[in-house]
Amino acid sequence: MGLMKQVVGLILLFLSFQSVAQQDHSLIGQPAPSFQLKAVNGKIYSIEQLKGKIVVLHFATTWCPFCTAEAPYLEELSKTYADKGVQVLIVDVKEDKALVEKLTQRFGFTFPVLLDEDGAVSTQYAPKEVHPDLPRHEVPIAGNLIIDKEGKIRFYSLLDSVNFDAKLSKLKQKLEELLKTGNP
Amino acid sequence: MIVGLLVLVLLQNSTHTNRFVEDSVIKISVPGLNVHAGQSKIIYVQITVKKGYHVQANQLKDEFLIPTTLELNGGDIITIAKQSYPVPKKINLEGTDQYLLVYDGNFKVAIHFNAKETARKGKYVLEAKLHYQACDNKTCFFPKEIIFPIGLTIL
Repeated sequence: MGLMKQVVGLILLFLSFQSVAQQDHSLIGQPAPSFQLKAVNGKIYSIEQLKGKIVVLHFATTWCPFCTAEAPYLEELSKTYADKGVQVLIVDVKEDKALVEKLTQRFGFTFPVLLDEDGAVSTQYAPKEVHPDLPRHEVPIAGNLIIDKEGKIRFYSLLDSVNFDAKLSKLKQKLEELLKTGNP
Repeated sequence: MIVGLLVLVLLQNSTHTNRFVEDSVIKISVPGLNVHAGQSKIIYVQITVKKGYHVQANQLKDEFLIPTTLELNGGDIITIAKQSYPVPKKINLEGTDQYLLVYDGNFKVAIHFNAKETARKGKYVLEAKLHYQACDNKTCFFPKEIIFPIGLTIL
């Protein structure tokens, strides 16, 4: 019985850490900043048109090693969850279309890769309390978000190379949670 | 702008002693060098990556990553023969079988050069550029370049 209590205690402690990790940015729980961006495929995507879907958003650049490490897992995630109403998007920050296109082909992304040519969207997604000394468009790079069906940010993880989660396990955990409960 | 002014001051007031230039991530130091026309020598560029940061190495496995490179215009004074970069450090990407090749702490880039036979005696300041892309544990920063002077005396 004592052992059981300890195990339950440890699980609760683990869950509380998870919760803190996901909610340590001011944007969690807030409506996702609106955007309309052109994708490498030429189509225009906006956050408004994706309402009703769960959106997984990843900010990237072609030269970001952590972004490229996550890339195959994003593609895998997109394939796994596409028929469950989940839309994966990459927002590439301030790079040429030709370069982004090349990386898109390398990883065979089947989801849209959007071009934030002037960094304005990335700037909007920079939590104000994170790296206040840094140009704002640089802050979200390698960050992952989940935006729920109502357009609210439910998960936001910025780069943590010491505890790097290339396989997106924490994001998937939150995604499963949202899918099970609808839109808690 | 500040770097430009610094280079200008050095051009006007060159003593060719050890000079350094720094930004928020990198500090570069190069000792002044004396060489005879026609002679071959090596310039050692001492680079310090500030604590908590790393920069991508010179030789990388991934064409998309930005390598650390050094650009030096020898003009009419010297010809660059080759550059040597140190052996990089491997950083494993947690949870994957991938790794990064990086430099952190202190490292040196050796520039092997030949002073041109036609180089006139005198003091010169050559302009060099270091291109790099840095990350710390929380962010990967946009690629940058830092301009620095290399003082050279043709004896």
